[in-house]
Amino acid sequence: MRKSRRRRLTAIMRYVLLTAWAIVAFFPIFWMISTSFKPDTQWFAWPPVYFPHPPTLSNYLNVWFGAEEYAATQYAISSQKPLISLLNSTIIAGTATLLSVLFGAVMAYGVSRYRILSETRMFQLLMLRMIPPIVIVAPLSLYYSTLGLLDSMTGLILIYFLTSLPYAVWMTKSFIDEVPREIEQAAEILGASRWRTIFEIVLPLIRSGLVATFLFILILTWSEYLLALIITKTQVTTLPIELSKYQGSTEGRVYGRQAALAVGITIPLMIVGLIIRKHLARGFSFGMVRR
Amino acid sequence: MARIELVGLSKSFGNVVAVRDLSLTIEDGEFVVLVGPSGCGKTTTLRMIAGFVDASAGEIRIDGRVVNDLEPRDRGLGMVFQTHALFPHKTVMQNIEFGLRMKRVPAPERAQRVREVADMVHISHLLDQMPGQCSGGEAQRVALARTLVTQPSTFLLDEPLSSLDAKLRRELRAECDRLHQALKRTFIYVTHDQEEAMTLADRIVVMRAGEIVQVGTPMEIYSNPVNYFVADFFGSPSMNLLAGEIVQVDGTARFRATSFELDLPERFKAAESGAATLGIRPEHVGVTLGGKGDIELPVRLVEPLGRDTLLYFDAGTERAFVAVSEGLDMADVKVGVRMALSLDPRRLYLFDADGRRLAPP
Repeated sequence: MRKSRRRRLTAIMRYVLLTAWAIVAFFPIFWMISTSFKPDTQWFAWPPVYFPHPPTLSNYLNVWFGAEEYAATQYAISSQKPLISLLNSTIIAGTATLLSVLFGAVMAYGVSRYRILSETRMFQLLMLRMIPPIVIVAPLSLYYSTLGLLDSMTGLILIYFLTSLPYAVWMTKSFIDEVPREIEQAAEILGASRWRTIFEIVLPLIRSGLVATFLFILILTWSEYLLALIITKTQVTTLPIELSKYQGSTEGRVYGRQAALAVGITIPLMIVGLIIRKHLARGFSFGMVRR
Repeated sequence: MARIELVGLSKSFGNVVAVRDLSLTIEDGEFVVLVGPSGCGKTTTLRMIAGFVDASAGEIRIDGRVVNDLEPRDRGLGMVFQTHALFPHKTVMQNIEFGLRMKRVPAPERAQRVREVADMVHISHLLDQMPGQCSGGEAQRVALARTLVTQPSTFLLDEPLSSLDAKLRRELRAECDRLHQALKRTFIYVTHDQEEAMTLADRIVVMRAGEIVQVGTPMEIYSNPVNYFVADFFGSPSMNLLAGEIVQVDGTARFRATSFELDLPERFKAAESGAATLGIRPEHVGVTLGGKGDIELPVRLVEPLGRDTLLYFDAGTERAFVAVSEGLDMADVKVGVRMALSLDPRRLYLFDADGRRLAPP
């Protein structure tokens, strides 16, 4: 009796803690969504307004469609720049992530099967990613200006690809390690070339892992701010840069617009996550190859 | 069709020698079984033939052509793996036709050949399933079909049945035998199971610690083991092996163990005195109730198996001295009873202190 009571108490405590943590974690997201529907008078209101009344779409219409007539506020800044940024972000993050996962997987294959990098080298590869980006910003912008890559999509794609490659190698290697060597040997002795074996046997077998890696790197590149800030100027703007523009010297932060934009930045990632969720669960749980 | 020659083949992994100076010729159409305990180098040898492991020294020749530098896919071999190694993301049909697709065989011919081999190994009903839905036995049949369909000159089989249960093993063993008869191709089969080796092989290659210990037909290996190791490895129940010594008494050689002494047959007359091991297979030990025999030992355990009865005697050693008696006549013998045992003198083996056979025929 006492034991079962203690067990119940522990369970209750656990849920109380988890709920408290969930509230802390989700509150900013709630606040972002709530603010995006608030009219401008409620952005700074005190006591705070938790639920907008009446809710308005004017922030969204203004930010995403440049519809100033919906704004009905002195803070209407934007034209359609966010849509262009959305397109830029999609192209840049998408391409860099794809390249990174593809090259990462092939490199990881070499590491896993041919030991082209020792354990130490592999760790050093990951250490590279531990260097704070700010450290490389100055030399990088010098290189880029010499190479004519400043303010270009190619420049951003290249640097995102390179900086996320270590993650891609590390993550995909652990999946490739799980593929039994004999399955590849079976393909080889049946006449498949090494490349054919990789693309027709190994990569399809680790597709869940590739998808998980893809999403992980997409999140990193999609929301990257610092490098984008330094490397781009006026020609290419990504969504995080766009987001930072919604403040002015006289107006202060334009919270409602920023929130509407932030919701727009989050939604594509959530859509990708939903589409591939079947793979994610398997990818993150590893050991997905049936022996 | 292929004749495979291994000439002075060696393989080391760092300081560990897996295969040492191995030479062997496997004739066209022969069924050769490489057998030995784990770590004896049999699988490494097979993998060198397949091309998955590079030889450290020596040559592999297929039909006279040195293939050391050829990729596995260019050697014209087929391999069946212990783990089946089916492609989990492809259907059974796609698994089987994979090899044909790699060889650019046109689709209609592919479909026909897949159906043929599927019929041959009785898996036609599985073609649309995924490997994950197949049972162990079915998966191994699929693996066999996948290899068969490419019509390799030689089949390499790496412990293909060891992950299956006893009944399935017997079934698939018969299947392998039937395929070999039907196809008349060269088969090289690796196993640690002496029974598999005995039933399947035209010739058995016994390996130990990276070297060949003995090569011969199953009957040769069984009746004429070259040393203690081979004698002990083959046969179920295995050969009775009793440590003792040879002593010369008045010009006749005698064998002295802890619990008995025995006159040795004429052919051991010249055997030198010293430590030795006496061997005799359980089926060559005669058991009579109340009769006279060469030695007398107390019964430790009786195992009636139906067709035969196994009698375990206490010979003063940890390992029991086993005799086989036909039928169930001896099933009621009480433990502890001393029985007379006659040892067939023609079937006695003696091994010296290094395990070498003394006075082989």
